[in-house]
Amino acid sequence: MNETTAKTEGAALLYELHGVERRYLKGAAEVMALRGIDLDIRAGELLSIEGPSGSGKSTLLQLLGALDTPTAGTVHFEGQDLSRAGEKTLTEIRSERIGFIFQQFNLIPTLSAADNVAIAMAPRHVSKSTQRERAADLLSRVGLGERLDHLPSRLSGGEQQRVAIARALANHPEVIVADEPTGNLDTKNAAGVMDLLVGLQSAGDVTLIIATHDPEVARHASRQIRMRDGRIAKHATVA
Amino acid sequence: MISVGYLGKELRRRWSRTLVTALGLAAGVGLVMGIMGVSNGLTAAQNQALSPLSTVGTDVIVTRTVAPASASSSTASPSASPSASTRQPQGGGGFFGPGAGGSSRGGAANQINDLNATDQAALLNANSSILTDLSKLGPAGTAFTHDFFVPGTLITFPDAAVQDVAKVEGVQSAVPGLSLQALRESGTVPALTDTVTTGGQTLTAVARPAPLTDAEQAQVRACIQASGEFTPPAPGSGTRGSGGFPRTGGANSAFTKCLPERYQQYEAQVVVPEQTITRILNPPQTDTQSKTYTVAGVNPSDKTTGLITVDQVVSGSWFTSKPANEILVNTAYASTNGIKAGQTLAINGSNYTVVGLVTPTLTGNISDIYFDLNTLQAVSTNANRVNEVLVKVTKSSNVDAVAAAIQKQLPGAQVLTAKSLANQVTGSLANAQSLANTLGGALAIIILLAAFLIAALLTMSSVAKRVREIGTLRAIGWSRGRVVRQIMAETVGIGIIGAVVGVVVGLGVCGAVDAFGPTLNATTSGLNVGASTVNLFHQSSAASVSQNIHMQALLNPQIVLIGIAAALVGGVIAGTFGGWRASRLAPASALRDLG
Ligand SMILES: Nc1ncnc2c1ncn2[C@@H]1O[C@H](COP(=O)(O)OP(=O)(O)O)[C@@H](O)[C@H]1O
Ligand SMILES: [Mg+2]
Repeated sequence: MNETTAKTEGAALLYELHGVERRYLKGAAEVMALRGIDLDIRAGELLSIEGPSGSGKSTLLQLLGALDTPTAGTVHFEGQDLSRAGEKTLTEIRSERIGFIFQQFNLIPTLSAADNVAIAMAPRHVSKSTQRERAADLLSRVGLGERLDHLPSRLSGGEQQRVAIARALANHPEVIVADEPTGNLDTKNAAGVMDLLVGLQSAGDVTLIIATHDPEVARHASRQIRMRDGRIAKHATVA
Repeated sequence: MISVGYLGKELRRRWSRTLVTALGLAAGVGLVMGIMGVSNGLTAAQNQALSPLSTVGTDVIVTRTVAPASASSSTASPSASPSASTRQPQGGGGFFGPGAGGSSRGGAANQINDLNATDQAALLNANSSILTDLSKLGPAGTAFTHDFFVPGTLITFPDAAVQDVAKVEGVQSAVPGLSLQALRESGTVPALTDTVTTGGQTLTAVARPAPLTDAEQAQVRACIQASGEFTPPAPGSGTRGSGGFPRTGGANSAFTKCLPERYQQYEAQVVVPEQTITRILNPPQTDTQSKTYTVAGVNPSDKTTGLITVDQVVSGSWFTSKPANEILVNTAYASTNGIKAGQTLAINGSNYTVVGLVTPTLTGNISDIYFDLNTLQAVSTNANRVNEVLVKVTKSSNVDAVAAAIQKQLPGAQVLTAKSLANQVTGSLANAQSLANTLGGALAIIILLAAFLIAALLTMSSVAKRVREIGTLRAIGWSRGRVVRQIMAETVGIGIIGAVVGVVVGLGVCGAVDAFGPTLNATTSGLNVGASTVNLFHQSSAASVSQNIHMQALLNPQIVLIGIAAALVGGVIAGTFGGWRASRLAPASALRDLG
């Protein structure tokens, strides 16, 4: 029932979602952000998730990024049921396996670009010097080799998002989950960031899951999902 | 397990939040240090007011003051009435007699009436030398100066008591002391007597005796006839009753001889015997002026304990090996009377060399002049008698127990400890001290709690502002524990800054107290409690000593450490609240739209 691209056909199943629901309590009112999602994601895919605002894209990405658990249904990540996993397991998965990229960049405002990358390595058993080296290396990979000591406030939006990408890559994740990564960027910066992310995926390093409004982004995707009212409305595989 | 770099940058780059929280803690810590410093300063001031006890190494003072009458005092033991003339050394504690246990009732003014009979007698007797016949000082009109020594309200007792006290378990040393009131009378010897001489005059008496009886007339007639000189008239011739005595010629002499005895008597002259009458004038009229001062006898060999010690000598020296004619003079008394070390003072005809000037520290029991004990006992006719025993105990924690044991050994003795003296310190110092102890403690706790609350609230608000940041940390793989530890480290860091600033603030507060603090008054009732206010013989009472002490905040390392610890505790408390708040934030908070 799930369609796969030729490229990822036969690759290991990274995610398996069954009947996933996410209910929010907004005061007395109940909001059904996800109303039964079934979805398989294979390693190496570039999955784009489109849909109008409020359709549940972010909610779905939080579940994929192990930031949240469903109120019903199961989310299996590499065979592990995240909906039943403990706090410690989820923390470990977030730290080692998944890199999350936010629409608002979410850099720590008091830390320099290098430090923002390094603190992602803090929970790992990595020496301070290795952290610094790797941070510098990652930042030069995203084109910010000259901006290591800059505070986020002194970086442009595009630069900030590049720092966030470097941070997401810090612990060699298998998956990068990006929630509208170009939503706050101008066209030029958006293109640069998108190229960077797509480059990572096409180099075979990571599986990339991107929520976006940008039709350009969707063009890069190996598979597209369109969401509406907490459901997958359209499922398409790009040739 | 925390990110130190992140911590430092967080504190530095959010400096206003860091500073506000740290200053809140610092203000609390500084105020608490100030309060503790003031409390400490007041305690030190009080100790200063009582320091003679501690500096002379005296833990307990045993005295025998006049005791108020009690129900049982009418049966005072006979030994409890030492008289100036019949003083006998007595063993045991008997000379302390019963009766000292009576609780003082009524105001001090009534206490002289409440003295038990024995004590009253002893006191009046001991103080009676002041009423010495001034005529013994020389012929009337001679200028004189004489010093009288009286024990005032501290009754003397045989110095055997010193040994009794020394035997009490826990006593390290017991040293005698004799504190007396001295009354210096000077003026001219008054005319105490008036001599009057009477008698010596010769008087002639004229009288008319009763007429001769018939028998007497017959007898006279026979007598004259026998002498042959006179022929009496015939009986019945009428001469009887004329009363005329023939007084002429030789017949007259014979007649005189023959008269009855009672007629002859009237012929004699009466001589009144001369006599001298001495009238005693009471009271004597005198121009005598009196001045009081206080003296004490100390054992020159007890250099480090007793009423005065060698380290209280400020100029000159301690008693030499021949102390009989040596005295130490209180610097205060010396300066008002222009006395210098090395000069001699004449007291009751003997010259005493001022070997040194001393500053006895304040207590109820300082004297103006210190004598060798033996000398003072001799000049005050108090041979082998003392009125104080100054006791040093082996273990300071034992003071109360030893005092109780001495009390048991010597019933009727008044046993005072430094602590009981401390309780007698009155005046604004004592008020401030009790205020600092009670209110100060509560105030310190309230201030600290307020500072902690402020720090906790500021941290919670900071965490609330950093919801997305904390969520992001969780989202990129920080555990809940790591986030909490990081928050905790931040607030402890703020606590450290608060401690440093707080110590500076505390020093400032204490400095301000020193500069602008009020002057406090301490009144030490000292030794002569009980009947002390009875002012016998118009002597100035040395029983109550007052001194002014400037209020000072005294910091010590302990207080500084407490201040530092308080700031750190404040940091931990704030971190606990902030961390608890942060631990409840889900990783998904990273995506929360904060508007
Ligand atoms: N934390 C939350 N609490 C309550 N409602 C939420 C929460 N997050 C999302 N929602 C609701 O769930 C629905 C889906 O939101 P979201 O997943 O953010 O959509 P999208 O990312 O596609 O704009 C919306 O109606 C939104 O209001
Ligand atoms: Mg969204």
